Amino acid sequence: MPVDKFTNMEEKLWILEDLNMMYIRQIALSLQDSDLQKKIDHEIRMRDGACKLLAACSQRDQALEAAKSLQTCSTRILAYMSELQRMKEAQVMQKVTRRSSDAGPMDDRMPCKGKVAISDLRIPLMWKDTEYFKNKGELHRCAVFCLLQLGGEIFDTDMVIVDRTLTDICFDNAIVFSDASPGFELRVELYSCCSEDDYSAGSTPRKLASKLSSSLGRSSGKKLRASMEPGPVSPVSNGGASPLLLPVPSVPGPKYHLLAHTTLTLSHVQDSFRTHDLTISGNEECSYWLPLYGSMCCRLAAQPHCMTQKMMSGCLKVKQCGADLQSWTKVYAVLKGTSLFCYHRQEDVEANVEPAFTIGINKETRIRAAEKDPQSKVQNICISNQYGGEEVTHTLTTDSREDTHRWMEAFWQHFYDMSQWKQCCDDLMKIELPSLRKPAPATPKQGSLYHEMVIESSDDLSSSVSDILARRLQELELRSQLGTSPTWMSLFEENSPKIVGRPRPCTSRLSGHSPCTPHRLPRSPVSPHRCAQMGLLSSDVSLTSDSDSHCSTSLCSHHYGWPEPSSNFPILSSSPSRLRPRTLSLDAKLSTLRGRGLGGGGVGGGGGNCHCSCQPPSSSLLGPSPISSRSPRLQHSTQTTLSCSSSTSSSSSSSNSECSHSPESSEGVPFSRPSPVRRSLRNLRARLDPRNWLQSQV
Amino acid sequence: MSYIPGQPMTAVAQRIEIQKLRQGDHLILGFSIGGGIDQDPGQNPFSEDKTDKGIYVTRITPGGPADVAGLVMGDKILQVNGWDMTMVTHDQARKRLTKKKEDVVRLLVTRKSLEKAVKQSMSH
Repeated sequence: MPVDKFTNMEEKLWILEDLNMMYIRQIALSLQDSDLQKKIDHEIRMRDGACKLLAACSQRDQALEAAKSLQTCSTRILAYMSELQRMKEAQVMQKVTRRSSDAGPMDDRMPCKGKVAISDLRIPLMWKDTEYFKNKGELHRCAVFCLLQLGGEIFDTDMVIVDRTLTDICFDNAIVFSDASPGFELRVELYSCCSEDDYSAGSTPRKLASKLSSSLGRSSGKKLRASMEPGPVSPVSNGGASPLLLPVPSVPGPKYHLLAHTTLTLSHVQDSFRTHDLTISGNEECSYWLPLYGSMCCRLAAQPHCMTQKMMSGCLKVKQCGADLQSWTKVYAVLKGTSLFCYHRQEDVEANVEPAFTIGINKETRIRAAEKDPQSKVQNICISNQYGGEEVTHTLTTDSREDTHRWMEAFWQHFYDMSQWKQCCDDLMKIELPSLRKPAPATPKQGSLYHEMVIESSDDLSSSVSDILARRLQELELRSQLGTSPTWMSLFEENSPKIVGRPRPCTSRLSGHSPCTPHRLPRSPVSPHRCAQMGLLSSDVSLTSDSDSHCSTSLCSHHYGWPEPSSNFPILSSSPSRLRPRTLSLDAKLSTLRGRGLGGGGVGGGGGNCHCSCQPPSSSLLGPSPISSRSPRLQHSTQTTLSCSSSTSSSSSSSNSECSHSPESSEGVPFSRPSPVRRSLRNLRARLDPRNWLQSQV
Repeated sequence: MSYIPGQPMTAVAQRIEIQKLRQGDHLILGFSIGGGIDQDPGQNPFSEDKTDKGIYVTRITPGGPADVAGLVMGDKILQVNGWDMTMVTHDQARKRLTKKKEDVVRLLVTRKSLEKAVKQSMSH
C-alpha cells in the first residue's frame, strides 16, 4: 500500500535523523567546539518550533512564514554541519601533515577579513501578456523570499507575496555579513511557494484531487495536482553539496522550492547598483513558477578591515623633505585605509584632531628599506608616491630594528590585503547598518481613488502658486530683456484683426452666457474690446472654446505660440466634444478645482498653464483668486478655462442653471453645483493635468 | 546629452548620495523635480534638448540634504537607488525618491558641466 510505504519511510528518516544528530554531537565534542554545537542545537530547536507552528496554524500567511523559518533553519543546520565536518577533516589532515613532513616556515599570509553588505535586492519579472488580458480569474499568487549565504552565515529576507500586478520582486532588507574573506562566495537563493488557498499538501484523496484538477482550468489544475502530490521527501538542496545527512521531516503545509540562484563574489562588488544573472531552476509546470526576467539587481558593497580598522600604529620619526638631513620629526603614526596618518601625539588620535600630515598608501605606493644610515643603527623606510607627475618620498625611521621589521611587515600585509580586496580598497564603500525601523502604520483604506493618492501636506497651494509665478516672472523678465515677447502679447494689440475676428461668431454665445453669469460683468465687460484684461481675454478665449473645437484650436494655437502647442491641443480638441460621452462629474470637478486653484481664468484655455502663462497680468490673474473663496459661482466662470473637451462639460455644468442656453448641455449633466472641493483634490488635478509642467517637492 | 528616443544614451554621470532628513513624520530631501514622460518637455527650462522627458532638478533648498550632497539645480537624474529615471512618469519619479523605508538615496545624475570637465581634462 502506498500509504504504508510512506509512513515507513518517514519513520526511517526520523531514525536516521536521530542517528545523525548523535554523530554530529560526537564530532562537535571531539572538536571541543562548543560554539558551533550550541548554534546547531539552537537551530534545531527553532526548527522543531517551526514545525509545530506549521502544523498548528490555520491562516495561510502564518503557514507561509512558518515554512520560511523552517527552510531557513534547515539550511542553517546543514551549513553548520558541513562546517563541523570540514573542521573535523582539517584537524585530521593537520595531524597527518605534521607527522609526515616538517612544516617549513610557510609564507602563509592571510588577507584581512571584511564586511560584505548586500541591499536593495530587486528581481524583475516578465509576465506574459496573456496573464493580463486573457486571465480573468483570480490572481495567482506566490510567496517568495531570498536566502543569502556567505561562509557560515545565513540570512533570509522578508517574505513577499507576488502576483501578476507586480513588475519586480523587491526585498528591502539590507544584510551585512561580517567576517568575510576576499575570496567569499555569497550565494543568493530565491525560494518560492505557491500561495493558493485551497491546497494542503498530501492529505487530499487522489480521486478528489484529480476531479478538482480536471474541473479547474488546465494550467491551474496542473499546478494544483503538482502541489497536492505527496512527493517523496527530498533532502533540502544545499547548493550541490552531498545531501549530507539530514532530510527535512515532511510536514504538512506550504513548502518552498528553489526557484533561482546565483553566486556573487568579489568581482561583483561595486559601490553602486549592478545587475547580475540568475540561474533559474524549475519550469512553467511547477506550482511555484514565476516568470523571472533572469537577472537580479542589487548593491553589493564590501568594507575590508584594512580600510576601516587601524592596522598598525606606533611611534615613528619622519625626516622632513628638503630640510637638512638631521632633522627628524617624531610622530605617532596610524596605518588605516589608504593612508598613514601621522599625529603629533598619541592622544590626538582619540581626540579626533586632524593629523599633522598624511602619507598616502595605495596600490601605487612603493615602500622599500633604504640603505643603512651611517649614523643610525637601523634601516630607514622610504615611502614613495606619485602625485601628479612628481614623485614624493618620505623617509621614516624607528627606534629599533624590531620596530622597523614590524612596520615593514605591516606595510607588506597592507599591500597584500589591498591586492586581495582589489576594488574595495580604492575608496571606502558605505555600508548602512540595517536600522530597526518600525514598519509604517498601514493607513486604513477609504475606498475612493482620491483617498489613495498620496499628496504631500507640505504642498501649500498659495505658496506653490506664488512660487511658480515668481519663477515665471523671472523668466519673463529674462525673456523681455532678450527682446522676444511671448506671442500672446499680441493679444493686447488693439488693432490685431486676428484676435477680434475669430471669436466674433461666438459672441452671440458669449452674450448668451453673460446674462446668466452676472458676476462676470464687473470683471469682464462683454465687448469687442477684449484687450481690457488678460484674465478676461483668456476666459473669453476659453469661452469661445466652448462652442467650437476648431475655433478654439485655432485660437489657442495662435495665441500661445509655444514650441509644441499642437501637441497639446489635438489631444484636447480632437475629440468631438459634443458627441463623446464624458465622466462629467469628474471633469467638472476638475475644472472647478483648476479654476479656483489657479487664480481665475488667466490660466488660459489650452495653451497656457500657471507655469507659462504671462506675468504682467499676474495681478489680474491673482485678482480673482481671493474672489474664489467668496462664492462658488466663480467656479462657473473660471472652469471654462480648461481643455476644450472638458470645457463642454464644464460649460454644461456651469450652465446647470442655464441649460437652455448651451447646446452642449444636452449631454445631460446629472450633477449639481459643485460643492467646495477639498484643496487636496484641486492640488491633485492641477498636478495631474498634462499641460502643467509639474514640479514636485521631495 | 543628445537624446534619441529608443536609442541607448551615454552621459557622463556623477554619483550623489543624499541622506534624508527627518522632519516629524516626513523624510525630506530638499529639492524639487520636474519632468517625466507624462509632462510636456518643451517647458523644461533646464533641458538642452526640448524633447527630453527626463527628470530634472528644478530647485534646491539651500542647506538641505541635497545641497549638502552636491546636487545642483539643472541636474538630470538618471537613476535612483538602481531604479531608472529616464523613462518614468512624474509621479513614479516622486515616489521612487520618497520611499519611507529608505533613509538614503543614491542618485546617478548628469549635467552639462561634467561633460565639459571631461573634455577639458582629456584635451590636456
